[in-house]
Amino acid sequence: MIRHLFTLIWNRKRANFLLMAEILLSFFVLFVVSLLLVNNYHNYRQPKGFAPDNVWEFNVDPGQDTVDRKGTLRRLVQELQATPGVAAVTWTSSNTPYSFSNMNTDQYRYKDQKAPLTEVYDADDEMVRVLGQKVVAGRWFDRRDDAATHTPVVVNQKFAEAMFGQESAVGKVLTDDKRTRQWQVVGVIEAYRSGNDFAANEAALFERHVLQDTAQYGNNTLLVRVQPGSGAVLEQQLVRKIKAVTKGWDANVNTLAENRQDKLRIMLTPLVALGLVGGFLILNVALGLFGVLWYNISQRKAEIGLRRALGATGRGISRQFLGEMLVVTTLGVTGGLLLAVQFPLLGVFGLPPQVYALAMSLATLLIFALTAICALQPSRTAAGIHPAVALREE
Amino acid sequence: MENILAQSAVRPQATAATLAATAQPVIQLRDIEKVYQTKTIETVALNRVNLTIHKGEFVSIMGPSGCGKSTLLSIIGLLDEPTSGVIELDGRPVQSYSDKELAALRNQKIGFVFQSYHLINDLSVLDNVELPLLYRSGVGGRERRERAYAALDKVGLSARTNHFPSQLSGGQRQRVAIARALAGNPEIILADEPTGNLDSVMGEEIMDLLLGLNRQEGTTIVMVTHDEQQAHKTQRLIRFFDGSQVQ
Repeated sequence: MIRHLFTLIWNRKRANFLLMAEILLSFFVLFVVSLLLVNNYHNYRQPKGFAPDNVWEFNVDPGQDTVDRKGTLRRLVQELQATPGVAAVTWTSSNTPYSFSNMNTDQYRYKDQKAPLTEVYDADDEMVRVLGQKVVAGRWFDRRDDAATHTPVVVNQKFAEAMFGQESAVGKVLTDDKRTRQWQVVGVIEAYRSGNDFAANEAALFERHVLQDTAQYGNNTLLVRVQPGSGAVLEQQLVRKIKAVTKGWDANVNTLAENRQDKLRIMLTPLVALGLVGGFLILNVALGLFGVLWYNISQRKAEIGLRRALGATGRGISRQFLGEMLVVTTLGVTGGLLLAVQFPLLGVFGLPPQVYALAMSLATLLIFALTAICALQPSRTAAGIHPAVALREE
Repeated sequence: MENILAQSAVRPQATAATLAATAQPVIQLRDIEKVYQTKTIETVALNRVNLTIHKGEFVSIMGPSGCGKSTLLSIIGLLDEPTSGVIELDGRPVQSYSDKELAALRNQKIGFVFQSYHLINDLSVLDNVELPLLYRSGVGGRERRERAYAALDKVGLSARTNHFPSQLSGGQRQRVAIARALAGNPEIILADEPTGNLDSVMGEEIMDLLLGLNRQEGTTIVMVTHDEQQAHKTQRLIRFFDGSQVQ
């Protein structure tokens, strides 16, 4: 019967061509939507590399106050650290987790190896206590780095693999593209996906900055890890302390959890919009398929009657129409898969191969489910056509 | 392979009386009624029809348009159910049969030939002839092919196996339809005006083919026709008028 179905579809290739083209295009749309979903899900399942819970972000702004900014900040950090309910405080650049700020560069070199585009963060010795990054090789920054001849850096595994392959990253010295600056890797962390929950695990590098008198003033963001359960009382207490120490600097506070939600909302809006457009498109395709099948069946009533006369059961007729639709879908999907497979082969989005494979499988599954659902009712109708009546149709 | 068309004219014809005396009934209709009912009109298509057809018989049914001939053929062919009455095939009543059992009976016992051929235009001649065997379990692809070739050979169309129906004349199409009926090796052939769409020469050719089948293979044939001449070539002529058997 399968051979018969293929023969029938092949002999009706002209009539089925548009249907196959529609399925091919629908498959392609589903593939792209699936790719987006699978990639986001794949990223979501990757380790974040830090713990955002119970971390508050304070942005302080000295405004016109230019007197001893570093000294003020140093005292502020000390005061905050001494506050009961505060576990640790870190002074960092503005590209904190879930912020809308980022800094990246591809200036790093190791021998002739050029670094991938790398997110760069300023970090002090306390950051690991605040954000809880998981160090998998070497160590985080500490006082031993005060005497370092090269700027100490901690990189994530993604960066380490890209630059050093299987070799240990710890101790390796990086230069910039003009070989004027040097950085030494002191540790490797597992991952750092700080953009949003669906962000990819890109290469990341943390450069050590400490609040010395010689340090350049630039960063005015503080991340504070508080004891679990801390609330508005501690927040007010910390804001009062900031006002008292800085004598009038502006300060605002957000929790990383709030920032995460804000970012998520902004990230999800286009995804939901795209999903709706995709869904609407699929609905249109489904209605189209449904219509084509109804028309097909009404045009083939005499054939249905003939097949019943020759020994087909009602269920057999239903299976035949369903089977024909699945054969057409198989041919359309085969064409779609040939196109889709070009994406990983040509490295279009640079996603992991398993993401493409999963997206193709998902799109295939969805399109088969869609066509099967659309074919089900018309096929049942075909099965219910009375053979004697159908034979009189010509 | 024996070509029926070539030999049909030389075989003697058994009489209806001989058959009635010797052969067993293959189709029996008792008090068959068929009423088509709509919201406003009730149309009696068949009115208490009693009919026995014996194995190996060639029966023709005649009557004006709308007298219930095709309805009767549909009921005999298990394509339609009577409103009341009993149908027996080989002595067994078939009313209680399920859709699956009726389909199997149609497939194994009955071959259909229609006025408008009912060939599937998108299938080759060979694929069309294979169709009944496709619905028969236990018949493999090779056997299907062989039986389809043999059936086409019987009707003298073995050179046209890869043609499509649109490439054939009306007479050739009807021969393909007969080959399709033969491929399943049925005991009964039900022919609904098989020459109705053909000119007289082609009609004669098809009639000779059916007569040959009946004489050589012993196939029971029930044929609905408007052609008095052809009807008289068969062993028994039944006339219908307004849903009732009049002769």
